[in-house]
Amino acid sequence: MVNAINTKNLNVYYGDQQAIHNISLDFLKNKVTALIGPSGCGKSTFLRCLNRMNDVIDICRVEGNISLNGMDIYSKEIEVEHLREKIGMVFQKPNPFPKSIYDNVAYGPRIHGFTDKKEEMDLIVETSLKKAGLFEEVKDRLEDMGTSLSGGQQQRLCIARAIAIKPEVILMDEPCSALDPIATSIIEELITDLKKSYTIIIVTHSMQQAARVSDKTAFFHLGNLIEEGDTSKIFTKPDHQKTNDYITGRFG
Amino acid sequence: MTNLAKRKKAELRFRFYGIFSVFLSLLFVAILIFNICSSGIGGFYKTIFLTSIHFDQKLLNLEDNASEEQIRNASFRKLIKNNFDESFKDYSKDEIKQIKKLFYRKIDIELKNFLINNPEFLNKTTKVELTASTHIDQIHKGNFDRTVQEKHRKVNNFQLEIYDKFVEDQKVKKVWNSTYFTSGDSRDPESAGVASSVMGSVFTILICFLLSFPIAIFASIYLQEFAKAGKITDLIEININNLAAVPSIIFGLLGLGILLNFFGLPRSTALVGGIVLSFMTLPTIIVACRSSLRAVPPSIREAALALGATKNQVVFHHVLPLAMPGTLTGTIIGLARAIGETAPLLMIGMVAFIMDIPSNPLEPAVGMPAQIYLWSESSERGFIEKTSSAIILLLMFLIVVNFVSVYFRKKYEKKW
Repeated sequence: MVNAINTKNLNVYYGDQQAIHNISLDFLKNKVTALIGPSGCGKSTFLRCLNRMNDVIDICRVEGNISLNGMDIYSKEIEVEHLREKIGMVFQKPNPFPKSIYDNVAYGPRIHGFTDKKEEMDLIVETSLKKAGLFEEVKDRLEDMGTSLSGGQQQRLCIARAIAIKPEVILMDEPCSALDPIATSIIEELITDLKKSYTIIIVTHSMQQAARVSDKTAFFHLGNLIEEGDTSKIFTKPDHQKTNDYITGRFG
Repeated sequence: MTNLAKRKKAELRFRFYGIFSVFLSLLFVAILIFNICSSGIGGFYKTIFLTSIHFDQKLLNLEDNASEEQIRNASFRKLIKNNFDESFKDYSKDEIKQIKKLFYRKIDIELKNFLINNPEFLNKTTKVELTASTHIDQIHKGNFDRTVQEKHRKVNNFQLEIYDKFVEDQKVKKVWNSTYFTSGDSRDPESAGVASSVMGSVFTILICFLLSFPIAIFASIYLQEFAKAGKITDLIEININNLAAVPSIIFGLLGLGILLNFFGLPRSTALVGGIVLSFMTLPTIIVACRSSLRAVPPSIREAALALGATKNQVVFHHVLPLAMPGTLTGTIIGLARAIGETAPLLMIGMVAFIMDIPSNPLEPAVGMPAQIYLWSESSERGFIEKTSSAIILLLMFLIVVNFVSVYFRKKYEKKW
């Protein structure tokens, strides 16, 4: 088993407040890892460290080591734009650009200069939409606004947009929390599909979702990593009392 | 239960106050528009006398088929004198002089222009539309009180008699005053027009827009998206907000002190006027642009950033287009204020008497509000009318600008 991302002794501070306490966690390649835990436990903060989205927050300070394929992502040699090309992200609320469906998907490849040719771009858009399971629904209206789609379609459009730049890792920050159960189940199937080609790290509030889609699960509490391991183990016989309490719904 | 009745009554009362206030403000606008229109519409028309004129070749000292140049150089005084003497044979010399005063004093130029445009009438007799003097113009438009004692009015009884006779003979007509739109300012209300001030305003606003719009957008983008939040940015923000509230005449003083005296830019020009007005418009646009940038949801920025876009790409591909409608609205509000601004232009000498229509921003010019101000100072009855007409034009200009802004806002607005 190969690790895609390794984190070591990660500490994150917002001003004086410490949000992440000394977390070391590794993510296996082509597996789905779920990060679970009650609200405010730092799992989103942790996720956003992995593609350096926290850089935009002035008061946020990151200490420790995160490496992608053995390369320190916070080192000076790494351009953050390059890093985000390799680590895509899907957000909690679907956030398509107010542009056409086509332009939404083509935006990433365009800014990274993947191709100048219209036909090649068409192909990238088509394969990305196909991988995200959206192509059949939108193939006749690629020029429609991305924002005109339903919530679940929008989120799949965001996934298509993320995979259009051929990342190695996809970070998902509660991707289904704004969706209805049917849209959620479609996305969950999609995640299972996508892990063949991508490493997926998903933050979720739904125990069932974590149990359904993930291979590995990590339980966070108050900025600490309480327990991590195979999903089947975490959900059946967790080592920690806190984990047990959380997954059985006694707090959280 | 009684409580509810009381609350309902309070609501009713409030509704009444609301309707009353709306009605009152609409009433004021209606009064203003009615007042301006009733006194200003007349300015778009002028009174003319249909006069039959014989273009005698000898009196003009012209050969057959005279060229335009020759006609231009000819003197029409003799021709006019002869024609008047002929038409009013029964009157004394002094009376003919008085009759002449019913006409605009530069009818020789009008006749000249007529002949230049219609050279075939040389040596022929034809009816020509000759502009009436401003006093007759006012009489014909009904702005004249005949009961006033003769010595207190500009038109004496004899002249009135002649005028009435002209009316009887259907020689007097009210026609569209095209000179009002094509000529510059003049000492005579008969030939004064708004063209120079309209061009002056157009150049001034153009320069104001070209300077303030890009500068304001770059400044707002930098402050909102790139600058680190801190004491210095806060200080700049407070100062920009304060700048938006500075009385406009202060900006005029700034223009006078710095642009004219220090940099030695030409006085009374649209260039300086535009720069001064852009000082004034900048803060308005910056405030509007920043608040529209702030209103762009952060999720859009995150989406672009997560795809590996640079900050610049995020701003110019996503944030700015979404902030454009709001920014344009602010820009139009700022420009509309600038169009109507007079005080700062007084300080830099843009209140001069400008007869020539400026062809570029480096020529002396006057803006429409300053022209209105100049005319309103004039004691001539004819200029009072011109003032109101110019106000109508200015208001129409503003309405057009507003519609343009609404159009652009609708065009750039995107549905979510």
